Amino acid sequence: MKSAMTKRKLREWRNGYLFILPSIIGFSVFVAYPLLSSIYYSLTEWSGYDKPKFVGLDNFDYIFNVDPAFWPSIRATFYYVLMSVPLSLIIGLCLAMLLNRGLPGIKWFRTIYYLPTVVPSIATLTLWLFIYQPQYGLANSLLRALGLPEGTWLTSSRTALFSIVLIGLWQVGSGMIIFLSGLQSVPQELYEAAEVDGAPRWKVSLNITIPMITPILFLQLILGIIGAFQAFNQVQVLTAGGPNFSTSLLNFKIYQDAFNNKMFGYSIAEVWVLFVIIMIFTLLTYRYSNRFVYYESDSR
Amino acid sequence: MNAQPGVAAGSRRGGSPALKAIRFLVLCVGAVAMLFPLLWMVTIALKSDNEVFRLPPQWFPKELHWSNFVTGTREIHFWQTFGNSLFIAVLTVIGQVVSSVFVGYGLARLNFPGRKLWFSFFVGSLMLPGFVGMIPLFHLYSSLGWYNTWLPIIIPAFFGNATFSFLFVQYLKTISVSFDEAAKIDGASDLYVLTKVLAPMAAPVIVTMVIFAFQGSWNQYLEPLIYIVDQKKWTLALAMASYKGTYATAWNLFMAADLIYILPMLILFFFGQKFFMQGLGSVNSASLK
Repeated sequence: MKSAMTKRKLREWRNGYLFILPSIIGFSVFVAYPLLSSIYYSLTEWSGYDKPKFVGLDNFDYIFNVDPAFWPSIRATFYYVLMSVPLSLIIGLCLAMLLNRGLPGIKWFRTIYYLPTVVPSIATLTLWLFIYQPQYGLANSLLRALGLPEGTWLTSSRTALFSIVLIGLWQVGSGMIIFLSGLQSVPQELYEAAEVDGAPRWKVSLNITIPMITPILFLQLILGIIGAFQAFNQVQVLTAGGPNFSTSLLNFKIYQDAFNNKMFGYSIAEVWVLFVIIMIFTLLTYRYSNRFVYYESDSR
Repeated sequence: MNAQPGVAAGSRRGGSPALKAIRFLVLCVGAVAMLFPLLWMVTIALKSDNEVFRLPPQWFPKELHWSNFVTGTREIHFWQTFGNSLFIAVLTVIGQVVSSVFVGYGLARLNFPGRKLWFSFFVGSLMLPGFVGMIPLFHLYSSLGWYNTWLPIIIPAFFGNATFSFLFVQYLKTISVSFDEAAKIDGASDLYVLTKVLAPMAAPVIVTMVIFAFQGSWNQYLEPLIYIVDQKKWTLALAMASYKGTYATAWNLFMAADLIYILPMLILFFFGQKFFMQGLGSVNSASLK
């Protein structure tokens, strides 16, 4: 009897590991191995073809003290994160609140606002490249038709980065839909209670709706930061980092240093710098916004 | 009322007519901004070569040049590239969904030592920036002779996708274990329980996984960019990013080709809208609770 029990248990153990084996291999080969080996590679001079040569912290010294492209790229990255993350969060939330309540055609609105997020990244970016074209593009054609001055869009170092942010806002639907599902899961009793008390609408939004979705807001903020720090396609397709380094996001610089300049060791060191920056930002966000996050006391 | 809380609340809390009108107007303006780029794209794709560069611009083409869809795709190996992307996407979908379903079952339904540890490893790996692994993996694949092949893109798909496994685990939690036990008393194996008992019940979440796996593959740009040199092996994302220069003087042809690139996603969205609109948001927000 007892041995039958253990036998069954052992079989369950074996089956458990057999079932999750794909992910164990996947995790070891595609996550753990590159992560651990890149710690070593970041301390080497390595072109990717020769053998890595150990150089200690030289790469990091070069990054912070010598590389003329590093600080401009940090600047661009920070600007990008600080513009794109709050804007898409706020606009996504506002849209979700507008789309939460009944209106004629509400389903159509939701669909339309979500539609741009279905367009593949590269199709979106190439489309917007033409939209921003100064002479024949949609953006300036519209401004001209409305009698407004033309924009410089991607051609000026003052506007290029914001133009990239703007493309992200066209795809704000992905955040909106998440907020919308959050808003719809706010218990109706809360609204009914507020209505009985005769609370004005703006107060209901401020004191019930917003606090109830702070966990989602917080999570979207963290994911938004992590995502924005890793922006790459936009720069690769639209600006190649220009004009004058204004859009040279760190991830793009890393890609260039690795695959165009063949400085594998150096670019891995840069990856670690980016990684640490992301971690610091995430932890700071966690510390400072967590106190605003409202969690229901008992788990549902 | 409980059946449709959103609707009931909507009619009750719709606000005053004036407020409603303002809300409607704001949403209309936003909707136009969302649709305008895509509509512009369609009109460009249907214009003649000269019309594209006419000033002041003609918003609507005089006659519709459907032939752009033929010309625009002829010279750039478009359909071969389309086939490449489709082939990669189908294999990626199969690999990710099947492996994630297996992993999800193991994590949700079987008891074994280390289960929680592995689970947190898998979920934790979602937080790592993708670039961390890029270069060591590039080196690994190159030394395996996988450079300039699709293998670095396809093979990893078969080793579980953390998001999807997590999604499946969450879904299995809503299905009672008594189904498994009943089947096992009749002598069913785990494989049988998963494929014949649980998978049919979990069809909605599996469809969601298929859709998002396809979208992910159709979008993928960085990996093809790094690994694939040979133009014949390009994917659509790679091709459209490269041809933007080739077609700098033929916007109509480029837009026509770009529209065909988007089309499968639009079709998928059209038929599977509810799967998109539930969002992977529910997964994202659940994954860190």
